[in-house]
Amino acid sequence: MSNTHEHDEATPPTTVDLGTPQILGEVEQAFVEKWHENATGCFSSGHKFCREVCPVTQVTRNENHTPTAFHANVIALEKGHLTVEDVADDYVHCTQCGGCEVRCPNTLMVGDFYRARTETVKVVRAMRAMLVDKGLDREGWKVWNRLTNELKNEPVLGVEGDQPNGQAQVRDWAEGLDIPIGGDTIMFVDCEAAYYRTSIPRATAQILQLAGYEFGLMNEQWCCGGPAAEMGYVEQSMRFARHNVDDWRKSGVKRIIAIEPHDYVHFTEDYPAYFGDDFDFEVVQIIDLVAELIRDGRLKLTKPIDRVVTYHDPCRLNKRKGIHEAPREILRAIPGLTFKDVDRVTQWSYCSGGGGGLPIEKPEITAEISRRRLEKAAELEVDTLVSACVWSERPLTAAGDEAGIDVKDIIELVAESAGIEIGGRTRP
Amino acid sequence: MTTTGIGAEVLERLHAILGEDDAVLTGRSSRFNRARVPAPFPVHRWEEFIPDVVVLPRTAEQVSQIVKLANEYKIPVVPRAGGTGLADGAVPMKGGIVVDIKRMDQIKEIDLVNNTVTVGPGINMQTLNRSLKKHGVIYPDDPASYACALVGGRIGTSGLSLLGARYGHTRDLVISFEIVTPTGEIIEVGDGGGRKIRKSSTGYHLKHLFMGHQGTLGIVTEATLELVPRAEAEFAAFFLFEDYETAYQTFSVIAKSGLATLGGVMMFDPEKVEYLRRDDEAYIIQPDWVKAVCAASLFGTKAEVEVGAQKVMELGRSLGGRYIGDEIAAGDWAARHDRYANPLHGRDKDGKVVPMSWHCEDAAIPYSEVPEVLRKWHEIAQRYVERYDIFDDWGAFQYTNGAHKPWGDVLVEIDMGLWEDRMDEESWQAFVSLKREIAQVAIDHGGSMSSCHGATRAGDAELVPTEMGASWEVMKTIKRALDPHNIMNPGKQSLDEAYEEVAP
Repeated sequence: MSNTHEHDEATPPTTVDLGTPQILGEVEQAFVEKWHENATGCFSSGHKFCREVCPVTQVTRNENHTPTAFHANVIALEKGHLTVEDVADDYVHCTQCGGCEVRCPNTLMVGDFYRARTETVKVVRAMRAMLVDKGLDREGWKVWNRLTNELKNEPVLGVEGDQPNGQAQVRDWAEGLDIPIGGDTIMFVDCEAAYYRTSIPRATAQILQLAGYEFGLMNEQWCCGGPAAEMGYVEQSMRFARHNVDDWRKSGVKRIIAIEPHDYVHFTEDYPAYFGDDFDFEVVQIIDLVAELIRDGRLKLTKPIDRVVTYHDPCRLNKRKGIHEAPREILRAIPGLTFKDVDRVTQWSYCSGGGGGLPIEKPEITAEISRRRLEKAAELEVDTLVSACVWSERPLTAAGDEAGIDVKDIIELVAESAGIEIGGRTRP
Repeated sequence: MTTTGIGAEVLERLHAILGEDDAVLTGRSSRFNRARVPAPFPVHRWEEFIPDVVVLPRTAEQVSQIVKLANEYKIPVVPRAGGTGLADGAVPMKGGIVVDIKRMDQIKEIDLVNNTVTVGPGINMQTLNRSLKKHGVIYPDDPASYACALVGGRIGTSGLSLLGARYGHTRDLVISFEIVTPTGEIIEVGDGGGRKIRKSSTGYHLKHLFMGHQGTLGIVTEATLELVPRAEAEFAAFFLFEDYETAYQTFSVIAKSGLATLGGVMMFDPEKVEYLRRDDEAYIIQPDWVKAVCAASLFGTKAEVEVGAQKVMELGRSLGGRYIGDEIAAGDWAARHDRYANPLHGRDKDGKVVPMSWHCEDAAIPYSEVPEVLRKWHEIAQRYVERYDIFDDWGAFQYTNGAHKPWGDVLVEIDMGLWEDRMDEESWQAFVSLKREIAQVAIDHGGSMSSCHGATRAGDAELVPTEMGASWEVMKTIKRALDPHNIMNPGKQSLDEAYEEVAP
């Protein structure tokens, strides 16, 4: 992937004068003012407990890619030692998994009392937004977001040639399922699920139908805008959010079911930030909902699933939103399943590498993160790795093919155990 | 020092040695992010500590070639592992090449027959122990920085483990290692014999020479470590006291108990308790009468620890200490790593909360001298707090110092808050002078100014010749002999003196 702005490490720096600090521009000034205190909390203690949980640093072992550096750079920018261009490539190295934030002693020791949390994901996003502002955004992300803007959905089937993943195909996955449009509750189907792993929305829809849970689909579903926000395209993200909210209002929607953790984060964090109190929708995470349906006896899991599995805690559920009990409850309710669990804290250092736009810019790092995740699974002698995040499942499946381990979505297993013929596909 | 001194030719040769595009870094962020460690830092002079180039090697052979190249061009070489040290060991004082060994993080061999594990120096202890768990063994080097320090840095600093009384410290737990000497030779040092031999009387004990040198005598490229059976049982008890004196005596009573399962004995002085009460939100507040805390931990088989726990409870209460309760004891002990990173804020003179960096002294003091040393330290700290409104006295804690021998000398740490944001050259110099005064007291009382971090930074470094006494001459001779061009981490521990004298 070509990258016009990556600073050239091979160029001898013989003429670089490190002693003359730069004067900050307006954008940088606003950035350092906003993040000074947060960065100081890290810079002044600087203990780096985050480094070993960071999935990217585990692979690159390069201190530039550590959360500690992401905060130190704020101070260095403030002092005029570094420019945005100097650090542009560094901030690409993040999946926004949030592991660093939960492992930060500042969060752990002080957070309970002041609800303070070291914010690293937001710093990375703010920096990326600054890159976009200054035209320093990465080539791959530029293309991805341009196509998203054109298609109104992410080009998950490929950025080259004509791909069947625009608005015309956004509901193709639902063929034959007879799902109404609109209603009190709608199911929001993530781009990766709608076009790539269609087995997931199909399984989800049929589970809800079986349990007698009423829901509809949107009139015109655009991408949630989350990935754009993660890569720094804030204006686009807000525009897409506005479209979706307007669409919900038009149909009198009150409740959104997020079938995917990235959407869930976006709907519960970014949308309220964009719209303030006007955002009065209830957002339900599918895992919580399905666990409840099983618990209440509305969904009966009767067909034994003869698999030995371990569960991959999706970062955005576990590290970002603290959802880790419900998926375990679900897995324990599936008959026939042998479940070898790894606790959620150990999994702070696990990731698929699929988030934060990393696979678009640094696919080799994503692949290595997934390879290592499968290696951990293999140690447990399982035949299946179960995830609950469609974005994780593509790189994990590729690594699983190498490791001889199946990668399934938890909802697919639930549907199977409920006797549903899912249909759709798990890969193109 | 503001422009790099390394030319295109050297960079080209580094690229040839490393053979990977992203393993030779000259970008500004790569260099600015490898200028400091968690210790207080003169932010206003950041650019003085920037390396010229950073390399990320994967093999000993590459490290050897890098060091040989540096000798050829007389370029300083600074090894960097986790960069989590508290004494600036990894801070480049004279630019040069930072050899960042984090990519050498493989587990090369787990030998459950001879109870050893062989690793690259870039691996972290917690990460290593996660891999060892399934085998029922552990590498028990347990500093406060357990979650982030790397094996190479532990060897470079000869660190202290919080479980040292039971399992030993880094130098006891590292059986042997491979090191690239300052002239680029790859050698294996241990106690003697093969790399899995724990005790030998053949030759000199070079392992100790090449440990704790803060990167001035080479770069570790592989280490063979001790594997210890995972403790079946763990126990920690905290006792509360109305005064320092009784807590101090109780500390000694437990340390001298002869309990073989003792992991360590620890205590907080009244200033520390006061600080925790004032500014540590996570600390569970104790009643006002509590002025000092003493704690002990045990590790071993269930049978041993059950009996030992009874003994600790009896000794902890023998002079009037009150047990803190199971829940708080277990929680406080479990937080031993994270708490070290916690103190983020202190107070200015008016009591206003301000963000502060944490600085701690880590002297080793004979037990008999501890109260007097602490009295003098707090007096010095108070003087600086009053004069410069950027310091805060966060109290002291004590820890048993000797490996397997907890009954004698004590690691005494005084923690100070430092308002880095407000620091200028005058207050930085004040900080250095504060350090020097504190270190001098430790030496005056027959102690060592550093038990575990290293006497590498300004304030301490000037006093290394004083503390070493007549053996300073030997140290300089060794340094000169092994590192003829003074390329290994120059500017540290006053070792540049070794070269001034031989000038014609």
